[in-house]
Amino acid sequence: MISQEFDFEAPSALPEALALLARHGDDATLLSGGMSLMPMTTLGLVQPGMIISLNHIAELDYVREDGNELRIGALTRHADVAADPLIGAHAALLAEAASLIGDVQVRNRGTIGGSIAHADPAANYLPAMLALGARLRLQSEAGERSVEAKDFVKGIMTTAIETGEMLTEIAIPKLAAGTGCSYQRLVRVEGNFAIVIAAAITEPGRKAARVGLGNVAPGPVLVDVSGHLGNGLDDAALAAIGDAAFDAAAEAASDLAGDANYRREMARVFARRAVQSATDAADAG
Amino acid sequence: MMMAQFTVNLNVNGDDCSVSVEPQTTLLGVLRDQLGYNGVKAGCEEGDCGACAVLIDGKPVTSCLVLTASAEDKKITTIEGLADGWQLHPIQQAFVDNHGMQCGYCTPGAIIAAKGLLDENPKPSEGEVRQALSGNLCRCGSYGKMVKSVLAAAG
Ligand SMILES: Cc1cc2nc3c(=O)[nH]c(=O)nc-3n(C[C@H](O)[C@H](O)[C@H](O)COP(=O)(O)OP(=O)(O)OC[C@H]3O[C@@H](n4cnc5c(N)ncnc54)[C@H](O)[C@@H]3O)c2cc1C
Repeated sequence: MISQEFDFEAPSALPEALALLARHGDDATLLSGGMSLMPMTTLGLVQPGMIISLNHIAELDYVREDGNELRIGALTRHADVAADPLIGAHAALLAEAASLIGDVQVRNRGTIGGSIAHADPAANYLPAMLALGARLRLQSEAGERSVEAKDFVKGIMTTAIETGEMLTEIAIPKLAAGTGCSYQRLVRVEGNFAIVIAAAITEPGRKAARVGLGNVAPGPVLVDVSGHLGNGLDDAALAAIGDAAFDAAAEAASDLAGDANYRREMARVFARRAVQSATDAADAG
Repeated sequence: MMMAQFTVNLNVNGDDCSVSVEPQTTLLGVLRDQLGYNGVKAGCEEGDCGACAVLIDGKPVTSCLVLTASAEDKKITTIEGLADGWQLHPIQQAFVDNHGMQCGYCTPGAIIAAKGLLDENPKPSEGEVRQALSGNLCRCGSYGKMVKSVLAAAG
C-alpha cells in the first residue's frame, strides 16, 4: 500500500506531457514502468507532488532504423528491447543487457527510458550504452538537446536531465556486421542487481575495442582497450586490460555485496572475460 | 488533503468494470479491496516476491507496482480468471496433481507467471520454466515441484 498522497496526470501525447512538466517543475515526477519509482514511493524515499504517467503515450514506444542509427523510444519495455529484431541485429549487446534485468514481471513493465533516467549505478543498460556510444535525446517544452551517454550521469542517481526535461529517445549507432559483443555480470543470484558489470565490444578485424563497466563508480565508466589487441589476446594483453579496468574502478564503493577492493578486483576479472569473449566473437566473424 | 478520485475503466477476467480510485491506489489494492479478487496476494509490495502477479494484456506484471490510474483500458487476468467454472485450468490442475505448493501463498502468482510463459512458449525447456518463475519467491521452497507442475501442464 502506498500511504503517500499525490496528484496524478496521464497525458496521451508528448506535447501535453511536456506542458505538464513545464507547468509543475520540480513538483512533477515522471512515471514510466514504475519498477523503481513505486518501491521508492512506498518506502517514502521520494515524495512526489504530482506523478505524470507516460504509459499512455504510444508515440514513445518504438524501435526504428534511421540510416546508420537505431532509435528507441523511452517507453520501450525491457522485454521488447530484449526481443526486438532490429536491436538483435544491430545492437545485440543492448538486447543482452535487457534480457538480464530482474525477472519477467520487471521486464514486462520496466522501460529503457526509466532505467537510464533512474541511473542506478548497478543498473544494466548504462555500461552497454557507453560501449555502444549511445546518445540520449532530452526534450522540454522549450526545445531539445542531445547528450552523449558518457556525459549523462553526474553522480549517484544524478543525471544531466534538468527540471522540465524528459528523456524521450535513445539513439545508437548500428554495429558493423561481424562486431563481437559480450555482456558479463557478477551476480549472487540471477535476477538480482549486479555487483559488477562489464559490457564489451570488439570491432571487426580488432580495429578497436572498449568495455563499459557498471557498479564500480557512481556512474558507468568506459575503458578503451584498443591499444592492447595488436598481438592477439595473449596473457600480457589480458593483464593490461585487467589493470586498466582496475584503475578505472578507483571510485568503487563498498556495500553488503562486496567491499570496494573486491569490486575493483572483479572489474579486472570481468573486463578481461568480456573483452576476451567479444574479441573471440569478432575473430569468428 | 483529499486527493482527486479517478474513474478508471478496466477489464478484469473478461468483465468490464469501472472503479473509482485515488492516485496512489495500486492495482493490487483495487483488485483485492474493491473488486474482491483475493487470489491476488500482497507480499513484499516492492516488486520482489511476485505473489501479486497478474496478467496485464496477457503479460505477467507485479500489480503492487502499478498505479491503477495508469492502467486505464487494460485487460487484467487474475488467478480467478483461469478456471472454467469448477473446471480448473490445466496449469492449476497440474499444480494439484504434482503437489506444486506447500502453504499456497505464492501459488497464484506462480501460476500466472506460468500462464504468461506457456501462452508465449507452449513447450518450454526446464531452463525456460525456471527463468519464467524466477520472479516468484516461494518461502516453503517448493521450487522443484513448481517447475515439475509447469512442465507437466506443457505436456
Ligand atoms: C525486483 C526488481 C529487480 C530489478 N532488477 C534489475 C536489474 O537486475 N537490473 C536493472 O538494470 N534494473 C533492475 N530493476 C529496475 C528496473 O529495471 C526498472 O524498470 C528501472 O530501474 C526503472 O524503469 P521504469 O520504467 O520502471 O521507471 P520508473 O520506476 O517509472 O522511473 C524511474 C525514475 O526515472 C524517472 N523517469 C522515468 N521515465 C523518465 C523519462 N522518460 N525521462 C526522465 N525521467 C524519467 C522517474 O521519475 C523516476 O525517478 C529491478 C526492479 C525490480 C522491481
